[in-house]
Amino acid sequence: MNDHLDWTSQAKALLDASADELDAVTLSRLNRARQAALAQRRPAAPRWFFAAGLTGACGLLLAVAVWHGRVGVPPASGDASAVASADDSDPLADDDDFYADLDFYAWLDAQDQDPPG
Amino acid sequence: MVATMPTIPVRPASWNCASVENLAERTLDGFLRSVERRALRMAELATRNRDEALDLVQDAMFGFVRNYAAKPAVDWPPLFYRVLDSRLHDWRRRRQVRGRWLGAWRHDPQDDGIDAIAQAPDTNDPGPLLRLADGEAASALDAALAKLPLRQRQAFLLRIWEGFDVATTAAAMRCSDGSVKTHLSRALTALRRELEDYA
Repeated sequence: MNDHLDWTSQAKALLDASADELDAVTLSRLNRARQAALAQRRPAAPRWFFAAGLTGACGLLLAVAVWHGRVGVPPASGDASAVASADDSDPLADDDDFYADLDFYAWLDAQDQDPPG
Repeated sequence: MVATMPTIPVRPASWNCASVENLAERTLDGFLRSVERRALRMAELATRNRDEALDLVQDAMFGFVRNYAAKPAVDWPPLFYRVLDSRLHDWRRRRQVRGRWLGAWRHDPQDDGIDAIAQAPDTNDPGPLLRLADGEAASALDAALAKLPLRQRQAFLLRIWEGFDVATTAAAMRCSDGSVKTHLSRALTALRRELEDYA
């Protein structure tokens, strides 16, 4: 009987050692399996939570789209300051021909203003 | 090593449901952590494949949490091993069916009529494992356990390794106390014979 106890207790010790010496990858997979099993107990998010989230996201998207549209379109009324702030640059700044012929346009203007004869 | 049950402390009156739920989950986590390695080794001895063994242990964890987590913690060890035992039987059944289809079905030696008395060990012998070096003994024991029929192996592992008594082992294996004794006797005889051959 003692012999029987001896070899079974040695077998038990060997099995304990084999369980203690599992590699890190296996232990990580066991940990993930355990966490996944425990996650079953946590209550799932209610459906209204998803609906509210979806509605909020749509609302936010719409607000961003409207705001973006307003910035991109110039105002319909002739608000000079608004126009100036939207685009302060001279529309003719890059027109070199216009500045080259500036004297001609001044002469033409003077011709229009002088009465004939 | 017997699975030690974490004790649940008395709940203070100020605690809310979320705290209780967290404590229950931590207790359950501690229990699963305490049995997972041995469960994996048991499954691995049955399947001889670590990936399949991991899948079976995960299935067992899912089944246990789903069906028995609400039971008292002291009842968890035999219930967990009952679920694992069930998964191991399902796995063996699937494998046998697949084996039949593939024409490679082999005879399962489980419950063959081995005469336990005729195979009884000599009590004056120092024991088969004592004659082997540690590394050899571990691999010899693994090989011998893997050769055992599922019921005999489970009886050995639950009684000898887990340290369950006969009634708890019978509950885990869903059989009578007498069957546990028979399976264990046959397992010890077969293991001894295998290890003698190895030595």
